[in-house]
This record gives sequence, C-alpha cells and structure tokens, in this order.
Amino acid sequence: MRILPWSTAALALWVASPLHLGAQTRYNPQPSGTSVRIDGTSTAHDWEMEGTVIGGFLEIGAGASLDKAQGTPAGLQGDKLPAKAHVIIPVSKIHSKADHLPEVMDGLMQKNMKATDFPIIEFTLKELTFKSPHAAGEAFHFDADGELVIAGATNKVNFPITIEPLEGGKIKVSGTAAVKMTAYGVEPPTPNFGLGLMKCGDDVKILFDWTLKEKK
Amino acid sequence: MACYPEHSFMNNKNEFPESNRRDFLKNASLASMMAMIGGVELKADEPAKAAAGASADLTPIPKPPPINVGVIGLNEWGREILRQLALLPSDPLHGAHVVAICDNYPAALRRAGNQDAPTAQKYDDYTKLLADPNVQAVIIATPTGTHKEIALAALAAGKHVYCEAPLANTIDDAKAIAKAGRDAYKVVFQPGLQQRSHPQIDFLLPFIRSGALGKYVMVRAQWHKNTSWYRTAPGPEREAALNWRLHNATSTGLIGEEGIHQIDSICCFLKGRPEAVTGFSSTIKAYQDNREVPDTVQAIFEFPQGVNFFHDLTICNSYEKAYEVYLGTESAMMMRDFKAWLFKEGDAHNLGWEVYARHDLFYNETGIALVANASKQTTLAGSAQSFNPYDHEPLYYALEAFTANAANQTTDVKDYQDNYPDADAQALIDYLKGLKRKSAATWRDGLDATVLAIAANQAALKKQKLTLDKKWFEI
Repeated sequence: MRILPWSTAALALWVASPLHLGAQTRYNPQPSGTSVRIDGTSTAHDWEMEGTVIGGFLEIGAGASLDKAQGTPAGLQGDKLPAKAHVIIPVSKIHSKADHLPEVMDGLMQKNMKATDFPIIEFTLKELTFKSPHAAGEAFHFDADGELVIAGATNKVNFPITIEPLEGGKIKVSGTAAVKMTAYGVEPPTPNFGLGLMKCGDDVKILFDWTLKEKK
Repeated sequence: MACYPEHSFMNNKNEFPESNRRDFLKNASLASMMAMIGGVELKADEPAKAAAGASADLTPIPKPPPINVGVIGLNEWGREILRQLALLPSDPLHGAHVVAICDNYPAALRRAGNQDAPTAQKYDDYTKLLADPNVQAVIIATPTGTHKEIALAALAAGKHVYCEAPLANTIDDAKAIAKAGRDAYKVVFQPGLQQRSHPQIDFLLPFIRSGALGKYVMVRAQWHKNTSWYRTAPGPEREAALNWRLHNATSTGLIGEEGIHQIDSICCFLKGRPEAVTGFSSTIKAYQDNREVPDTVQAIFEFPQGVNFFHDLTICNSYEKAYEVYLGTESAMMMRDFKAWLFKEGDAHNLGWEVYARHDLFYNETGIALVANASKQTTLAGSAQSFNPYDHEPLYYALEAFTANAANQTTDVKDYQDNYPDADAQALIDYLKGLKRKSAATWRDGLDATVLAIAANQAALKKQKLTLDKKWFEI
C-alpha cells in the first residue's frame, strides 16, 4: 500500500471536514454590539480596560445552523459544532477606563504586551463543544477550545461562550476568558501615580461581546 | 476641543453647568498635595509625567508612526511652523516628518528648503504637493484668501488639514471650508486656533466652569504691538503679494488676522457666541504704503445675558501687550502670556486651595497664580514676569495635537476598516467620535471664530453695530 505523505493526508482530512464542503456560513464582525473588556485587580483597586474593535471571522460548517427555538443546533457532530473562528483584537484599541491618568495604564499595558512588535491579540478556535440542555429561546452555550496569542506567546485555552442568534442574520458571541498575564510573558503593570507603586494582579478576565453578521 | 458644541450660553443663572466647585477643588487639592509631597513641578501640559513623581520612569505610550507632513506657504508664519514642527519629539514613534514644502515664490521655497526643511521635497505648486502620495497631512499657511482652494483640494485628496485662522475672508468661503472639514470624517481637519490646544486652557476650563468667578460681569481683552504690517520686497509684484494684510479685499484686518485668537478663546470660556458686535476703527500713524486696513480697532461683542466683551487692538503702541481679563461677581481672572491669575473680591467665598498657591503682586492687587502646581514651595522663586510654567509656544501645542491626532486617526480608520469590512460610513463616524483625541479646534470652532472675525472687521470698518445672523454660522 502506498503511504500518503503526512501533509497530503492532513489536507484530505481537512477538505473532507464539514467546514469545507463548500456551504459553510461565514459571519463578519459588526461594530454595533461589539466590545471587549479586560478586568484586573491590583494592590490598590480593581481596574478595567475596554475596546470596541474585534475583527476576524466566524464560519459555521455546512449543515449546521443555530435556531433559538430548537433544542439543539442543527448539524452537530456528536457534541461538536463544526465551526472555524479567528478573532483579532488590536492592542492599541484597548484603553483604560480610569478617571485619573488613563494614559499611564494604557502606556504600561501596551509596553508590557509588546504592542509595537505584537500589535494584536489573536484567538483561533479549534473546537466548539455544545453544552446541553439548551432552553428554547435562549442563547446556545458552548465550550470554546483554541489558541490564544498575546504578546507573541501562544497558549491553549478553554472558556465558556454563548452564541445568540439575532435579527437580520446577526449573531452575538459572548464569553469570558480567564488569563494569567505571566503565562504570555506579560509582566503585570505597576503604574506609579506619585503616591507609591500600584501592583496589578497576574490574573485578568477578558470579557467580550462580538456581534457578527452573515456574509451573503 | 469643542468648548460649546450646542452653543448653550452658561445656564439660565449665568453660571456654569458642566462641573462644580467641588470637582475642581478635588482636583486642585490633589495637585497641590502632590506638589507638596514631592516638591514636583506639576505642569498642566505634562500631567502624567508630573503625577508619576520624580522617581517614576514614566512609560512612553507606544504611538503610531509619525505623520508625513507637507507645509504650504513659506513666508514668516510658514517658516515658524517648520521650526515648531522640528521641535516636536523626534523619537521614531512620535512627532512629524516634514516630507514636502511648497511656495510659488522661488526665493521663499529655496530659503525654507535650505534652512528649515533640508530633506523635504520642494514644490512650486500646491497641486503637485497634494499629488505626492508620501504626504499624509498638510499645513496651510498661505494668505487668508487662498485657503479655500487649497483646503478643499487637500481634503478631497484625503489629506489631514491644518488650516491657519481665519479660515477665509468671506463667510461663504469659511462655510465651504468648514463643511468640507466636517464631511471629511476619515481625516483630521484642524483650524489654526492655537489656544484650543494649549494645556493652560485645558487646566483653566474646569476652573472657570466650576463657578469660581461667580456670575460673569464682563470680559476685556487687548492686543497691543508697536509694529507695521508692511513688508519690503524686491519688486512691486512681490510687494503686493507679501502685503495682502494691508488691503480690505484680501485681509480681515487687525481684529480678524490677530484678534481672532482672543475672540475664539473668549467664546470658549464663555461657552457661547455673541449676538451683536459694534466696531470702531482708525488709522493713527501716517503710512506711505497705500494701506487700507486701520491700525487701531475697538469692538464690543454683546453676549447673552448682558455680558459684554470689550476688545481693543493696535499696532501703534505696545503698552501692556496682550491679555484677557474675565470679571465675575466673585473674582476676576487675568490671562497673560499663557499664565493666569485670580483676583478675589473681598467678600468672595474661600476656595481652600489658594492658601498653597503662589501670590503675585500687581500694583496694589494680589493675584493668585492659576497653575496646576502653583505651590509656594515650587514657585516662590522669581517674579510674576519670569515665572514660566510652559515650555513651548502655543503653536507648538497646536501642531503637536494636529500631528498626533492625524497619526491616530490614520491608524484608527485603517484598523476599523480592516476589522469591520462590512460596516457603513455612519458606523465609522460614530466610532471615531467616541475616541479620545488631543484638544484641538474643530471645524465648528473655526467657522464660528472666522465669522465673528469677519463680522467684527466689517463693524469696525463701518463703525457701526452689526447683529450677528445665525445663518452665518450654519452649514
């Protein structure tokens, strides 16, 4: 038996997956209803940063669809929804919500995240697992597995998300990912506002609402 | 910085609704306290650095690449612009690159090219400069009457535009420029009203609007200089071109070309627009240059609720130079050389923080220095005249705001369009409106100030009262 080269076999599998049968539904991001927030702690007080730009795309595989009225998404393969997603968040578009000197936190965070060399945060979806049961009329709950790239460092992550079908061919993907900054080589910022250093905690939460619209 | 976007003149009590005295005191007390703790000079133009304390290695905020600038018009003011641009921070992530200069007079182009912008591409025609894809932003420093043609072409070419003030010498032209600036939402349009970007204004606005002056009584401003606007030239054609300020057809006169900055500043502080202006003018000195514009002008601007602004300008005498005084029922505030002092009435309320502030004697009045760091520890040395809280000229701050805002706007538009390929224009406009920018004059500020300057000049030339038609400000 002739053995296929590894790359050819992988390509064959990839092409054969439901995502690539030619009828997947692609969604592009929409500015309205999209925001990302980073919640952190510190030795002084909690802090928040916020942005409104999340780029990338989401594709749902052929035969799969999300109808809120149904008990489960159509096209599930076992408990997996065939889907691809690539999420892009420009670091420079995330700003401190502090009333006092927000530019200090912005600068520190951009520096520590090496924004000049790595200007975007990226997430690539690897697997989307449906969490049942689903209450009709509500958003679908999933576990998202994928790779998160921050400051050039890549880690596998898993976090819960919801996908809510909206009017006009839109969907809203919402979720919260817990991240340790040091796991990505990002030193927690230590802003100095003149009355001593404030040390930010290593653990942050990334909360997002990502609204997308079906591309016709 | 649009100080009065809706033209709400104070509130119905002739007071200031946007902030309160407690807010201001809170900030002022923090500033004073920090200055006392660290003995640090806390300048309003460097809040982050100052607040971070002497030991802090304040992190520079990564910024987009410097914007590539072209300067059109290379006489005195155009060359001053080049010099101020050269003073902007030169690190690779900041400032501006002057990549092109333009003047249709060869000697001016050569001189500026040799002395002020040696690496810039030289153009003798602004259309050639606008066609240069390397130019992202243009600064227009040509005679007032030529602004419209150049500004409209530059905006149509997708360039960021800084247009000197006044925008134009007719109301129709000013409207056309302002409309083009408003509609070109992907780029920055900034009229050259420098005060709007000065850190002193950012510091004083909340103070003024906290009601520390009480109810406004009146405003007084002067611009005095002993000079001649006349410029010598090698030939009659060049002489005519250089001396465009001296003729009514091409100039908005002393109150338009010089007074516009004080008019704009006062509208900003009063948060409103006058309803009428009465002008007076005269030519005192005997000139031999066929000039038409008067060398001495007075105007009274009537703001709502009985608050009048008295403005006088002359190029015949330099006594007391330029300043603005705001008189309120509680206190008066004098702004001079981008310093400010508060003169309290005897029965005025205590503000609290003034205990720590620097006090300067003006004849028999005591002025409380209005500087963010005006603690006794840091500012007692020197006289009121030598005390200089700001490092740069007003033009520097205006250009810094323009280049930074243009650079940020460029990347913000690109990032937005890259990430939201399906979004419509209105969504982009809404997104851009929500972004923070450095304080700078807007198309609205430029139109209002230009119309007021033109109207005041007309009133002064005719020595009459002119009611300001609201339609003049509409586009």
